[in-house]
Amino acid sequence: MKPPVCVLHTDGTNCDVETAWAFEKCAGAPRLVHVNELRSGSQKLADFGVLVIPGGFSYGDDVHSGKILAVELTSFLREALADFVARGRPVLGICNGFQVLVRTGLLPYARIGAISAALMANDSGRFECRWIRMRVEGDSIFTRGLVGRTVTYQVAHGEGKFYAPRPVLEDLEAAGQVVFRYVDRDGAPTTAYPDNPNGSLNAIAGITDPSGLVLGLMPHPERFVETTHHPNWRRGLSGEPDGLALFTNAVRYAREM
Amino acid sequence: MPLQEIRTCLKPELADPAGEEVLYEIRSSLGIESVRKVRTARVFRFEGLTPGEAEFLAKNLLWEDIFQEYALNRPLITDASYLLEVAYKPGVMNPEAASLVKAARDLGLKHLEAADSSWEYAFYGPVTPGEIELITRRLLVNATIQHVVTEKPQTLHLSGVPRPTNIIPLRGMIDSQLMDLSRDKLFLSLEEMRLIQEYFHRLGRDPTDCEVEILAQTWSEHCAHKTFKARLIVDGQEKKPLLKRLQEATAAIDHPLVRSAFVDNSGVFAFYDGWAVCGKVETHNSPSAIEPYGGAATGSGGVFRDVMGTGQGARVIASTDMFCFAPPDTPWDDIPPGCLHPHYLLRRVVAGVRDYGNRMGIPTNNGSLHFHRDFRAKPTVIVGAYGILPEDRCRKGAPRKGDLVVVIGGRTGRDGIHGATFSSAAMTERTSDVNAQAVQIGHPIEEKRLSDAILAARDRGLIQAITDCGAGGFASAVGEMGADTGAVIALDRAPLKYSGLAPWEILLSESQERMVLAVAPENLEPFMEICRGLNVEATVLGRFTGDRRFRATYDGEVVLDLEMSFLHDGLPQRVLRAEWKRPEHPEPELDPPRDASGWMETYGQVMAHLNVCSREPIVRVYDHGVQGTNALPPLGGVELDAPNDAAVLTPIPGKPYGLVIAHGLNPVLNLIDPYHGGLWAAAEAVANAVAVGADPSGIALIDNFIWPVPDEERLGALDRAVDACVDFSRALNMPFISGKDSLSSTYQTRDGFTIRIPPVLCVSAFGRLPDVRCTVSADFKQPGSTLVLVGQRDPKQMAGSVYYDLYGFLGCSIPEIDLTALRAVFQAIHRAIRRGDVVSCHDVSEGGLAAAVAEMAFGGGCGVRLTLPGGVRPDFFLFNETAGCFVVEMVAGRNPASVFAEVPYQVLGETVPERAVSACAGGERLFEIPLDFLKKRWQQPLKEVFGA
Repeated sequence: MKPPVCVLHTDGTNCDVETAWAFEKCAGAPRLVHVNELRSGSQKLADFGVLVIPGGFSYGDDVHSGKILAVELTSFLREALADFVARGRPVLGICNGFQVLVRTGLLPYARIGAISAALMANDSGRFECRWIRMRVEGDSIFTRGLVGRTVTYQVAHGEGKFYAPRPVLEDLEAAGQVVFRYVDRDGAPTTAYPDNPNGSLNAIAGITDPSGLVLGLMPHPERFVETTHHPNWRRGLSGEPDGLALFTNAVRYAREM
Repeated sequence: MPLQEIRTCLKPELADPAGEEVLYEIRSSLGIESVRKVRTARVFRFEGLTPGEAEFLAKNLLWEDIFQEYALNRPLITDASYLLEVAYKPGVMNPEAASLVKAARDLGLKHLEAADSSWEYAFYGPVTPGEIELITRRLLVNATIQHVVTEKPQTLHLSGVPRPTNIIPLRGMIDSQLMDLSRDKLFLSLEEMRLIQEYFHRLGRDPTDCEVEILAQTWSEHCAHKTFKARLIVDGQEKKPLLKRLQEATAAIDHPLVRSAFVDNSGVFAFYDGWAVCGKVETHNSPSAIEPYGGAATGSGGVFRDVMGTGQGARVIASTDMFCFAPPDTPWDDIPPGCLHPHYLLRRVVAGVRDYGNRMGIPTNNGSLHFHRDFRAKPTVIVGAYGILPEDRCRKGAPRKGDLVVVIGGRTGRDGIHGATFSSAAMTERTSDVNAQAVQIGHPIEEKRLSDAILAARDRGLIQAITDCGAGGFASAVGEMGADTGAVIALDRAPLKYSGLAPWEILLSESQERMVLAVAPENLEPFMEICRGLNVEATVLGRFTGDRRFRATYDGEVVLDLEMSFLHDGLPQRVLRAEWKRPEHPEPELDPPRDASGWMETYGQVMAHLNVCSREPIVRVYDHGVQGTNALPPLGGVELDAPNDAAVLTPIPGKPYGLVIAHGLNPVLNLIDPYHGGLWAAAEAVANAVAVGADPSGIALIDNFIWPVPDEERLGALDRAVDACVDFSRALNMPFISGKDSLSSTYQTRDGFTIRIPPVLCVSAFGRLPDVRCTVSADFKQPGSTLVLVGQRDPKQMAGSVYYDLYGFLGCSIPEIDLTALRAVFQAIHRAIRRGDVVSCHDVSEGGLAAAVAEMAFGGGCGVRLTLPGGVRPDFFLFNETAGCFVVEMVAGRNPASVFAEVPYQVLGETVPERAVSACAGGERLFEIPLDFLKKRWQQPLKEVFGA
């Protein structure tokens, strides 16, 4: 059976269709679900095997990126989310979705309502769209088989600088919760622009919760699920597109659960 | 209860990128050095909350203690030399306000009445009041929409008592009174005013203000295209109207892929698997000249709605932007009074397009930028949009008698109402300074949910007809939709942003993000349910009647009652005279560069010319990857910074079908000869598409004419440009299926000082191809490849080139394009790409062959060795800009003589591993220039403007 995937959208979500397609390509059964449907009870989170919060500008990113949706989720769907995570079902937040997960407290510690980190305005002060390299580390169900590899994804954001107080950073590092790190051409983690496009501390591009089931990252894996997505596919490109594995792993995990 | 004020800012130890951005502008564009540091804070105000509730809101919504500080009802930054708060003027929509209210209510603060937000800037250093005034006026505050907050407001409510509908005593007016009325706000000719007067004589009554306003609106140049529909007498000979010529050419071509041309909000062209694609290109010059951010943003928003309102609703899949400005380093003294500086305009226009497209999730992946001094009074801002929709829903349904008139999306305010003033004794004390009706801030999030609702309703077959609410507001949307049936609407039902609008203002308002639909009564409930589920406001305004009248009521009183036939067909065709004389532009006598260092300097100057240099700082801030459809992005190559000629998208997930999008324009050529300039624009548009692999038999075109006010001479130029489009279209079998004219780009002061823009013809091309894997990019793929120039040109035709411009000349030897040869060249290039004979291809445009090979080399990370033919001046050979010529890199082992047997071609040289461009002629080396030198020159100009 194809595991049902909840692709959550609301006002200003704009990467929902391609994110749903990425899951469909990997034999998931994505469904676009509006946050209003979860609030009204016409759709139930418990009926899904995977939850993904796609990219976009939810509610215009007003006040802080992802903040208004985070407030909505923690106000009305706190129990459903806690239950979903407690049952061990995977949660993925991409770009704006990552910002939402951090502002709900689901990342980095799966504690809803307790904010421990932030995604701040890029050091450049600008929204930027570019392809970057990341090293895959840590332990997340989404990145099985990828650890140690360098992958290429596109970033497109204005508020992607990962920031946390020193003790939190040290804790995340010690616990292996950093999953994606911006690296330079030689594969070394970097805080230098533009390889690190936003000035993220410790070159952090994506993190997981301690269980490895909740993943958030700024770059867009759904924008590299076809070979022709890569800007230089005509220069010779081999193997599977780098973004696919995240979706394949999530679907496989949900199916086997 | 007093307003509660919460301020937040970054912790002092953290860098403040927004403040650094302002500091950069203060230094780079104003040259002020006294400011040492700028920090920013947010100010949030709430009405209806207690201080305790405000503190709760700060802690749960506004303030994140990890990186911010906050203050409740007291100043936050206290150590600055100067503190300045900038807010939207009351009445200008602040999109953030609705989010603040929503989140506060989600947090349980149900009795919050109103919210607002603004920015505070803190300046550090020995800055003078004069400098603060300059920084405020030139960088931080656009007085049209913003103001400096000097004292805490008492209330956030805007309210007012609606003004009544007035009767205009038109029947008793003599000619001079008619013209006084027109001059004030209607902009109609005396002949037109008399027609309206006669009509009301026949009715035996005087008109209401609503009726006069709607006639002025419907008969305006903007809506009625009186010039394009006029009978033309050109040099004493009558010619068919401009629009008719274009439409007749499209009809004569009878292209099998055209689904609708010139009749819908955008032109529709067949795609694959039961899908169709559509395209529309618009201008937003006047609003962008006054308020570039809002003007450009709402330009994008408007053209997206044109696509959304095509057929029974389309999904927007791409956005394009083409701009013309004066050079960003134009001295302040050269900027005419009342005009904004091009450095500011450019940055703010880019920001407007960026924020609308990025936020709505439309990839902006094709565009261009052109500079000429005479755009210093009025820029040209062109925005395009493309969409996809099911073929069986790609034609507009007509409203039927009994269908409901439904408005969905944003609320109606005074935005965009001409001549209206927002001050009224009946309003609160805060409304006296509300006068920002000319422009407004776009709300892309509103438009995104509007789009989601339309697509959902379309897929369930609930939309009988749809159109966007743009220029002319309800008047034009309902008036056009109901032209054949008639319609009646109740203006008091329209949801308003604030009370106090007169009925005619509701009728004419150009508030953004609204669409009007015809919905059958039995479909209303499911339609409303979709809208509710997506947070979209929908309201039944009235119904389509069958009486062929346009009627409107306000609180039961009839305020408008006109026959549709008079509204739409009452305007007589104009007769206009046109005459074009070839202007005198002396041909320069220049010598080619004397030696290798002369070549290096000249080549570098061409690459650094504003019309050639890299656009990367602009492309980067546009999200060109959203929707996951890119198969050829704007930038590629080894460093991901080399330009491609066109965008290629795969709009249907998982399918290889490609949509190619490209365009062409070169305004300076129209100063020399708008016929050949017009051919150049069209040839360049198609060449860009063909260079990546587009099939010339599957391309549709869109025209945009942006002209100075057409006196006889300018109209003569327009006539020639239209003829060029028609000749091109017929010769290449490529139909124009949509177009727009904007004929007002003249600036005149009271004492007669006049600036006319160089006439702009922008041609956009879009087409389909069956498999994106049969496309190429522009970057060189490997050393050792043979390079070939394909296409017909006469290198002596140098007029209008960047090379001439380096020496301050325009010239008269304009490139003349042979349409028969061009057609064969396009087919040959397409065939070679499809068969895999070439691995890279780039079309020749501004900067000529020299710029083309340099850009290809930047992308390939390898160099090129050129061997110039004898008998031709090397500078002309390298810098000639004839459109429709291509540089191609052959696949190893392919013979150009067999691949390009039927078209003009010549072997140029080969790619080499050394990172340099070298050229020799007659066995002697002319130059060898390092790629890094050329690239640095090419990247420098816009890096400086954007601080990238």
